[in-house]
Amino acid sequence: MAPGRPRARPHRPGDPVHWSPMDQTAAPRPAFAHASEAEFARILDFYEVRWEYEPHTFPILWNLDGAVVESFAPDFWLPDLALYVEMTTLRQSLVRRKNRKLRRLRELYPDIRIKLFYGRDFRALMLKYGKLGLIDEMSGTLGQSTPAKAGPATEAPLVTAAAAPATTPVGPATVGAGRTAGRERVTPARRRIDDRTVSRAVMTEGGSADG
Amino acid sequence: MVEQVDLHADIGEVLLGEEEIQTRVAELGRQISADYAGKRLTLVSVLKGSLPFMADLMRVIDIPVRIDLMEVSSYGGKSTESTGLVRILKDLSASIAGEEVLLVEDIIDTGLTLNYLLRYLRGKGPASLRICTLLDKPARRLVEIPVDYTGFTIPDQFVVGYGLDYGELYRNLRFVGVLRPEVYGAAE
Repeated sequence: MAPGRPRARPHRPGDPVHWSPMDQTAAPRPAFAHASEAEFARILDFYEVRWEYEPHTFPILWNLDGAVVESFAPDFWLPDLALYVEMTTLRQSLVRRKNRKLRRLRELYPDIRIKLFYGRDFRALMLKYGKLGLIDEMSGTLGQSTPAKAGPATEAPLVTAAAAPATTPVGPATVGAGRTAGRERVTPARRRIDDRTVSRAVMTEGGSADG
Repeated sequence: MVEQVDLHADIGEVLLGEEEIQTRVAELGRQISADYAGKRLTLVSVLKGSLPFMADLMRVIDIPVRIDLMEVSSYGGKSTESTGLVRILKDLSASIAGEEVLLVEDIIDTGLTLNYLLRYLRGKGPASLRICTLLDKPARRLVEIPVDYTGFTIPDQFVVGYGLDYGELYRNLRFVGVLRPEVYGAAE
């Protein structure tokens, strides 16, 4: 390990959760950076899925002295699902930058499960819940619901690349894989119906048809 | 005066035709009948979207089955805005303790509703609890839940018909189609 690299361990399933729908009266609502994040938190609350907002920061780049020069703090940690969720509903230039950071995160912490929520994903979610009108209110500068919080690197425990594989929840990353999985795991019995990749799933005894 | 909606004109493309659906439902029925042979099965349908699927599925299962219905509130629904938490709008009418239960869903995307339902139903002590869904949209998945019987895995498009709605309409279409984006004000 490079000198100066932090040694804090990442969050594990079962660790205390700072915020959950069960203790809304006990803790203040986090200062969300974007209104879409606040809406996503309300959805999680509704379905009683515990969450934390930016609880962990993962260093992804160090200088030669071992000091962290770039880090990544996923927006949500869902402890019961052992899943991080990153919302990316902003400008395309920011999406590209975030994609790069996410690739780096996956290289360094391959056991972390993280779902990237693009603008189209959030839009689909709002469409499903009949709240598509909220999208316009959330776009651009108007979407900034609260002032940006202080740098998470100073608040959240840092995770080292060396520590992560041994302590983070095991499981494949969900981003992209979820979409791909349904196609890659096609068995001989799952035939393609048409070129829009509507596939007929084969039933697996006691298991998942698609993962 | 009631606004007239041309249901068919609002469909951009038919994703799954009626015959295709019925063929697949029959296959599911045979598989379920074989898997639960000699057991007493309870089918639990999640209203409202799974109603046509449930109705067709139960008629192609050739073992004795009981049926029951459940309905849970959906995020954004008017009936839920006061509480901010998911609620059981219609509970089971009979106990499922010790029963073999198959939850029948129309579509699984994020898995949030299903995750809640599974926790709720497990608390009622069934002998087994498995999942059958007509449609699976894995691209939207947040909660990874093993699905035992899947009709079709579909791409990430907003679909209606055969029970699935937009604004409570289109449920009565006999096929599953992709809703034209301009219908929900999102021309892309």
